[in-house]
This record gives sequence, C-alpha cells and structure tokens, in this order.
Amino acid sequence: MKNDLRLNGSDQLMRGFDYEMRRHGFAGNQCQIILELAGKIPPEILQNRLGELQKEFPMLNGRVGGIFKPKWKIPAGIKKEISVRVHRDEANLRQKLFNEPLRAKRGELVRFDLIERAGGKTDLIFTWAHMLMDATAAEHFLAAVSDEKNKLPKTNPQPPGAPKKWPERLELMKKSVAQLDKFCENQPRSLKTCHPNAPRELQFRVEKFSSEETKTIRANGARLCGILGDAQLHAAVSALELHRLHQKLGCATESYIVPMPVGLRPKGRVEPLFSNQVDMLMLQFLPEQLDSVEKTVAALKAQTAQALRENSISYGRKLSELFGFLPLPTYIKVLKHGFKGEICSLFFGDTAAVNPRLENFFGVAVENFTHVAAVTPAPGLGVIFYYFRGELRVTVVHAKTVLNDDEAANFSAAIRNRLLNP
Amino acid sequence: MIQPSEIEAELLAFLRRDIFSPETNLTADTDLVAAGFDSMSLVKLLLHVETKYGRWIPESEITNEALASVHTLAATAAKVLNEK
Repeated sequence: MKNDLRLNGSDQLMRGFDYEMRRHGFAGNQCQIILELAGKIPPEILQNRLGELQKEFPMLNGRVGGIFKPKWKIPAGIKKEISVRVHRDEANLRQKLFNEPLRAKRGELVRFDLIERAGGKTDLIFTWAHMLMDATAAEHFLAAVSDEKNKLPKTNPQPPGAPKKWPERLELMKKSVAQLDKFCENQPRSLKTCHPNAPRELQFRVEKFSSEETKTIRANGARLCGILGDAQLHAAVSALELHRLHQKLGCATESYIVPMPVGLRPKGRVEPLFSNQVDMLMLQFLPEQLDSVEKTVAALKAQTAQALRENSISYGRKLSELFGFLPLPTYIKVLKHGFKGEICSLFFGDTAAVNPRLENFFGVAVENFTHVAAVTPAPGLGVIFYYFRGELRVTVVHAKTVLNDDEAANFSAAIRNRLLNP
Repeated sequence: MIQPSEIEAELLAFLRRDIFSPETNLTADTDLVAAGFDSMSLVKLLLHVETKYGRWIPESEITNEALASVHTLAATAAKVLNEK
C-alpha cells in the first residue's frame, strides 16, 4: 500500500459527518461491533495479533492530511499500539464506551475493549472510525483479527469516482441540484430540527428476533416486496414508523428523506478493505405514501427503478469527491445547503448477513452480535438491520434529547410489530 | 421468438460484467442467491432486460425457482418476453 491514499467520495462524506458530530459535542462518526463471547480471551493474545496486523497494515495508524487534497498519510511502521482495554462490567459502561471519542487526529482509528462478565463470559467491543471503513470491511477485519487464516486483501481498488472533464462535472452538479430541489418542493424537517436542543450523547437499543420470527419477516418481505425483498421491507417499515413517530411527537414535515445504502463491492469480493464502498439511494416519502406498507413499498420501488434508470444513486458520493478540497466547515455547509439545512430524516443501514467467520472469535463461541453506528445531530435517529446466525437484529440509535427512553422503546417496538404484522 | 439460450448468454455476460467480481466463477448453473445476488442486483438485471428487449419482467414472475440459476432465470425471462 502507498504512503498516501486518496479518500473516495464516501470516505469524504463520512469525514464530513465526523466533523459535524464533533462540532455538536458528540464523540464523532464512529461505529461499533459488539461480540458477546461465551468465554475469556487473554488481552495479551489480542494485543499481539493486532500488533501483527498493524505491521502488515500501517493504515491502521493513518491520519488524514493535506488541506486542499485530503489524503490518508500512512506511517511507515507502527506509531502507537492499538488500544486494548479491560473493564469490569458495570451499569452504563457500554453507553459510555459508545460515546467515548477515538482520537483520530492522533492516528487512533480503531479501539478494542473487553468487558468481563459474570460466569467467565466476555464482551468484546470493537470501535472504528467510519471514515476508515464501512461495516462490511469492519467485519472482514475483525474476522482476520480472530484468525490469521482469514487473510486480508492487500489491494485497495476504488469505485468509479467523479468525472474528470469539466462539462461532465457541471452536468453532474446540475442534475444533483435539480434532484435536491425536487426533494425540497416538499421540505423535509427532521425530529432534531423540530426539537432543537443540544444533544451530546447517543443511546442505542437492540430488537432481537428469533429464527421463527425472522422466517415470518422474510416471508412478509417476499410477499410484499418480491423475492429478495427483505431490505426493502426494512426500509419501508422504518419510514412508515418514522412517520407515526413524527405524528405522535407533533413534528410536522412535508416529506421524509431516507438514504438507503447501496454496496459497491462486486459480489464475491472482499476488497477493498480500508475504504467505504457505499452509495446512497436517496428515497423521499410523502405522508400520503406512508398510509400502509403496500403504499410505502410501491413508492420505494418506483424511486429505486427511477434512480437506476437515471444513474442518480451516486450523485452524492461523486459530488463529495469533487468538493473534497473544501475546508470541513464549508464542506458541511454545502452538504446541508442542498436540503435547506437538513441531512436526512432517518439514518438507515442494512448490512445483511454477518460474516459467518465471526460466529467464533479466537476459538471462543460468539453468543450474540451487535452492530452500532453513530448518527448525525440532525436527524439524531437511525436504524441498522442485520442477520446474525440467520436471526434478524435491529439496532435503534438516537440522541438523548431527540427521543426519551420510552419514546425510543415504543419506536423500536413499533418497528418489531410492523415487521411481523405489516 | 427469443430463444432462452440467447437470453442466457446475454444475462451471463451482464452478470459477469456488472454484478459479480471477476474472481467469481459464474456459470449458467451457479446458485445466484448463494453467490451474493441481492435485491439491487435484481432491479439492475430487470432494467438491463428492459433496455435490451424492450419489456419489463414483473417481479411477481421472479420466484425462488427462477433465481436458482442463470439457466432458470433465462427460461423465465424467455417465457415472459415471448408472451403476446
């Protein structure tokens, strides 16, 4: 790997969100994978393995440098050991660790925490900076930490970026502005915008579904959205329940923007590892489309096909690459300007099935798996769907002042009920 | 009348070029879902068929059996495209 590595458009977006979150007093744009292990792992074994990976991939200590052309500056060797900390279990520890910032400017891009639980069990919490990699790559990385036989790719190919020629760039900008203007004909207003306190802490809760319940939801997905329609059902139900939540909280909006991530890796490929390989399909739902799951799915499908026809899914990523030269405060202003102050109404993630290599870690059985990700101050609410051992999980993340505990629990339960009984 | 074999060759070329990585050994008998084919891949494929043959295949026609392989998918597509 070279000593300098360009950030792609998705990495830029993640870096911009990191700035925005820190500016509002949050920890930053960081994600976690939590493995609930059936036994113990000696921390020194984990530390040694991480040391080997650091030698192989000095990118793990990279820092973003360069004012007008931001790049990863990759050190020649290990600058600082990856942090592995051991904790005794206590109330609120997981929330505390989720809200503890990584020191990305000092090259801390990943962190490991081990929590000793009763009965000789351990929770492993892997925290990483989102601008370094997406959740799929993080799962591959963690599988390689667990077992050296799980080799990581050396190459880092990037998806097609923004056009090089100015006429094409201007055309892209024109189309993108037209798309956002169209969205703003029904101006979205997120929950955070309706309740403008200053949240500094994120909380999360997880809905777990049994394998029987998961089968029912998959069958509902196939019936309502067609074969392979799970992710579409997840997005439709999330949008519909978001609308109900807005109504309950008295937060009026003319529409809801739900960005649906689209993976860019060709099927069957692990690489590239240290980058975000995701485009965003920007979906807009009007309140009248959120009457029923059927209507929501119809709106979602029509927009998906239209976006693929117009090749508009990648507008945001490509524009982020073009505007990567801007200082971060200006960059985030430009980003928010498009939606007249908003970023979206709900963060939505669907990472599909968890890498089966993570069903054990260093030979210890993984009893449960959780994905968590930070959400930007506005909307201050996000949902992440994933399957572990064939069972569906939904993580709901929210800023403390956007929803209280009861409201978050009700939102989470409403998503559960709607998935099971759409 | 479009022959299933013609559609099969077209779909294989599209899937190899636009959906799967070059490392994936994709044949007419590959189990598509097991190889990572997802809902977005399906919409892209349906759009490709529409562009190439001028007709959208309704998603209701795409069953588990149809997605078992490129071979069965091509047979389903041929059936719909050849309907008057």
